Amino acid sequence: MNTGPALVSILRQGSYLIASIHTALDDSQLMRLQKDLVDQIGRHRSRGVIIDVAALDVLDSFGSRTLRDIAEMARLRGALTVIVGIQPDVAFAMVSLGMGTGSVHAALDLEEGLEYLDRQVRARQPGSSVVVPR
Amino acid sequence: MVRRIVRSRVADHPAADDLVQETLLRVLGAMGRVEPGMLEPYAIVTARHVIASMWKDQDRHRRNQHRMADLRLPDAPDADLLLGEDRAAVAQALQHLSDRERDTLLAHELHGQDTRSLADELGSTAGAVAAQLNRTRARLRVEYLLAVERTEPFSDRCRPVLIALSSGDRRRQRDVDAGRHLLECELCARLSQPLLGRGQQHDDEVRIPIRADADVVLARQGVRELAARAGFSPTDLTIIATAVSEISRNIVRFATAGEIVVELLEEPRPGVRIVARDTGPGIPDVEQALTDGFSTYRGLGLGLPGARRLMDEFAVVSEVDRGTTVTMTKWRQEGSP
Amino acid sequence: MTEDHTVTDDESSGFSTLDRQDEHQLLPELVAHLREHRTKLRQEWATRIHDAHLLDAMTPQEMSTETRSVYDNYVEVLETGSVEALQDYARNLSERIIPRGVETHEVVGIVLLLRDVLARSLFEKYQTDFRLLNRVLDAYEPAANRIANTVAVSFVDERERVIRQQQDAIRELSTPVLPVRERLLILPIIGVLDSERARQLTEQLLTGIRTHRAKVVVIDITGAPDVDETVANHLVQTVDASRLMGASVIITGLSPEIAQTLVTIGVDLSKMNTIGDLQGGLEEAERLLGYKVTRQDGPVGE
Repeated sequence: MNTGPALVSILRQGSYLIASIHTALDDSQLMRLQKDLVDQIGRHRSRGVIIDVAALDVLDSFGSRTLRDIAEMARLRGALTVIVGIQPDVAFAMVSLGMGTGSVHAALDLEEGLEYLDRQVRARQPGSSVVVPR
Repeated sequence: MVRRIVRSRVADHPAADDLVQETLLRVLGAMGRVEPGMLEPYAIVTARHVIASMWKDQDRHRRNQHRMADLRLPDAPDADLLLGEDRAAVAQALQHLSDRERDTLLAHELHGQDTRSLADELGSTAGAVAAQLNRTRARLRVEYLLAVERTEPFSDRCRPVLIALSSGDRRRQRDVDAGRHLLECELCARLSQPLLGRGQQHDDEVRIPIRADADVVLARQGVRELAARAGFSPTDLTIIATAVSEISRNIVRFATAGEIVVELLEEPRPGVRIVARDTGPGIPDVEQALTDGFSTYRGLGLGLPGARRLMDEFAVVSEVDRGTTVTMTKWRQEGSP
Repeated sequence: MTEDHTVTDDESSGFSTLDRQDEHQLLPELVAHLREHRTKLRQEWATRIHDAHLLDAMTPQEMSTETRSVYDNYVEVLETGSVEALQDYARNLSERIIPRGVETHEVVGIVLLLRDVLARSLFEKYQTDFRLLNRVLDAYEPAANRIANTVAVSFVDERERVIRQQQDAIRELSTPVLPVRERLLILPIIGVLDSERARQLTEQLLTGIRTHRAKVVVIDITGAPDVDETVANHLVQTVDASRLMGASVIITGLSPEIAQTLVTIGVDLSKMNTIGDLQGGLEEAERLLGYKVTRQDGPVGE
């Protein structure tokens, strides 16, 4: 079982990486995604990562944990992560399972995710004053 | 059914009986090779073939005393051999039945005696006779398969399990814990294939073997598909699939082999029941495993407790060194269609 | 209904067979009779409706108006064979009387009564000629049954439509997700929340977030008198699930009792955006939505 381009695609857009999951993934495929993504963040010195999970059938404990781990590793490499496309039923099941949102930011879709990254990453640019959300 | 078809076409009785037997032999012999659900149509077609070839023979040799011996499909050169094996297997299987079982079955199948008159003779009711006939047929199928495989069961648990599967009796299957036995007994796992094929004619149950990561995804899809037919809302389908994902992952992580059985429920209200079994090391402390945050692998420790929160009913039975069985149920919401 | 006028009736063929020609020839005669005795027959019908305690919910004036138009429509359908006209009328009638609580059996009852009243009158008129009477009734009965059937079906259809409409309205009322302005939803929770309803609310809110692309949701619980532990848990889950879909949640109208419940079940209130009243909540929501504008005006201007 290999993570071919049919399952996940990782695109580079400027200083962002956009990972789109195209189908239900099993655990090893998720681990492969995590490895690939973290590798590419390092290689491209990405500032932001968007993971589009709209095609995932469920986000169970392992899936959520993997997304959190990716976000944490990305943070250590200087990139901010946003999860987009969580479907209403998947969101409901996640919280029923007992998983909070953690510290990972989520946005409605790709457009919103990009907007969020733009805002956050620009705010972190050296020289720009720090914005304190009130 | 076969008897009816044959009888309606063949006037003299002894020939009809032979033909029925011939047809049964072929049908039984083909059981493993014929698609589930196609068995009846196959039986009908076979009966017609047998009759047709008999008529051909009759035309050729009128008053031929050995017509049964000549019966064969001309385009199947090895049919004789197969037929011979099947015949021997059926004969051997019949020997395993009690005299009473055998007599009743033959009286019904071959001599066309109906259940009511059988009941009168046996001092029973037609319903009880019909039920007994079903059990006998179930046993016959099992004994036939054992005879074809030229083997004897490994343990005294095998026969009850196989018979329960053969008769499609769900309660009996649960009583003898058929699912667990199939995971443990290789012979029964193999023999159960044609028997379960029969059971799959009921489309309110799916069975998904769990061995690798990819099977977890298959289990999620399988349960979602079946539960959708019970009218669960999209949200509930995702909730059920998430719970199945958690418990299937446990099987992959902790046990070498296991399975997920999903069954639709009608009573007391529509729902779905999921049984997950494995032959893993078992859980020494079930209480602890059901506690949030307790995890022995990379997860959030939400596997079992999380699945329990998602479902309406949840039970874990575990025996160290034998394995774990998780049974969970979700009922459909009242307001749903 | 297809019509066929080309074949002439053969009187000598006897009365035992009913055919279309008979119907076409006899019906105009019947209709003329029923029109001629309209007042008397209608009165008789009204009396029998009254005796049978049907349509008690109607005033005498209403009864008089309705019976007149039902009678006229009835005779017209007999004459023209056009069920459409009757269907329209029946639907119209149903619309008017259903809100008054008229039951299906009453509507079917009055139509059957009218059928009988008219049949009896036909019987009286033609009873001297038995063969003719038979032909008359053979012509009348299928037509009358078609009418009864049409009225009943129209009524039931209409009733079901009304019930569906009401159910939808009730459902909407109990779980309203209001798009106040772009990207902002308000979910006022009114009445007693049980686990099932709380769950429905959450589902509806999550779907609403996606449909309206909401970024901020104000959940106002001023109107919810009791929030027990289960419901409080649902509330927390709703907030979390909304976040997973990229929407921030503001909770308004949190009473001290409910706040206490939340704390008891271990909710960290500092992580929940709670504002005293709905007005304050809306202001906060607008501030959140306008957040990027003010921010861009600020630091980005450098």
